[in-house]
Amino acid sequence: MSIINYARKEIQFKIVYYGPALCGKTTNLQYIHSRIDPGHRGDLVSLATAADRTLFFDFLPVNAVAIRGFSTKFQLYTVPGQVIYNATRQLVLRSVDGVVFVVDSQWEKMEENVESFRNLTENLEKQNLSLDNIPYVVQYNKRDLPNVAPLSYLEFLFNNRRKRVQTFEASASAGDNVFATLNAVSQLLLHKFTRENQGTGAAAPAAS
Amino acid sequence: MESIPALTIEDVADIDNILADYIQKSEADLAVVVDKGGNVLAQYGDLDVIDVTIIGALAAGSFAATKELAKRIGEVEFNALFHQGNGTHMFMSSVDEDTIMITVFGSETTIGLVRFYSTGAAKSLAGILHTFRTRASPGFNFEAGDLGGGQVFQENP
Repeated sequence: MSIINYARKEIQFKIVYYGPALCGKTTNLQYIHSRIDPGHRGDLVSLATAADRTLFFDFLPVNAVAIRGFSTKFQLYTVPGQVIYNATRQLVLRSVDGVVFVVDSQWEKMEENVESFRNLTENLEKQNLSLDNIPYVVQYNKRDLPNVAPLSYLEFLFNNRRKRVQTFEASASAGDNVFATLNAVSQLLLHKFTRENQGTGAAAPAAS
Repeated sequence: MESIPALTIEDVADIDNILADYIQKSEADLAVVVDKGGNVLAQYGDLDVIDVTIIGALAAGSFAATKELAKRIGEVEFNALFHQGNGTHMFMSSVDEDTIMITVFGSETTIGLVRFYSTGAAKSLAGILHTFRTRASPGFNFEAGDLGGGQVFQENP
């Protein structure tokens, strides 16, 4: 859940990258970390196994635009994709504001993708959240590989809900559309935030 | 984001007073208050050496991870965790069901002193945080135009 701090004049948001094992969630964060101005980000923290599989989560704090003098801080998390770590995914989803669902575009990964998407909706429901009311985008990753499913099929599987969302064909390892994905979900979050706080009260008190 | 919690300037001043008193009495270096989602609510003390945002995220994760361990011995969760280092240590204690206080301290004090004073500080913090979570937001007047049309994040070449 986002938090507004009047004294420090900042607003915090939490974005979670969700998807099946080895779909490229950590690679997204690594690319963002490598290409964002060091003054606007903290360290990338990865709690991983010796084989570089995410055990708990990856975490990257990044600062973004200011709204009326309030700086916006985004906390980017990934979840462990492996099926057995569902309890961990539920923990990481706690207080989430926005989601990037990362799809592994390879044909042989479709069942895992579908299972992960179903798992996401279930875990959100456990927090009384739903994809109907939380900003999210879908990233079709690994589009540079030869054995990928066509876009129309992926849209049918992952963007066939009543509410259509923005989707991105990406190659996280090459950085293609990584920032486009992040910017899209961030814009959705900020617009939702400003919409819900439009004329709802007095102007934010100035810092003393 | 139906009800967005907002820490007012008064809230932050009250919390800072509590933490300042706690740091002084316990002779600890740093106190950070985070919610269990990893968001930093307040911080006080020697901040130069530590990225508080990362500490908050990791501490919330660490606290949550031990919850399952606690269940195995019939507890709902552990109320406090202590990580002992060679020279610097960390004590994490529950403030309320949604909040944790993290204390970083060195060899000039003891875990006993930190633990003793953290209890009173946590009780005072819980009162403020309850108000913060249950009252209506003070309100904003943001407009869509405030966002501008640019990218939120810039990609360096």
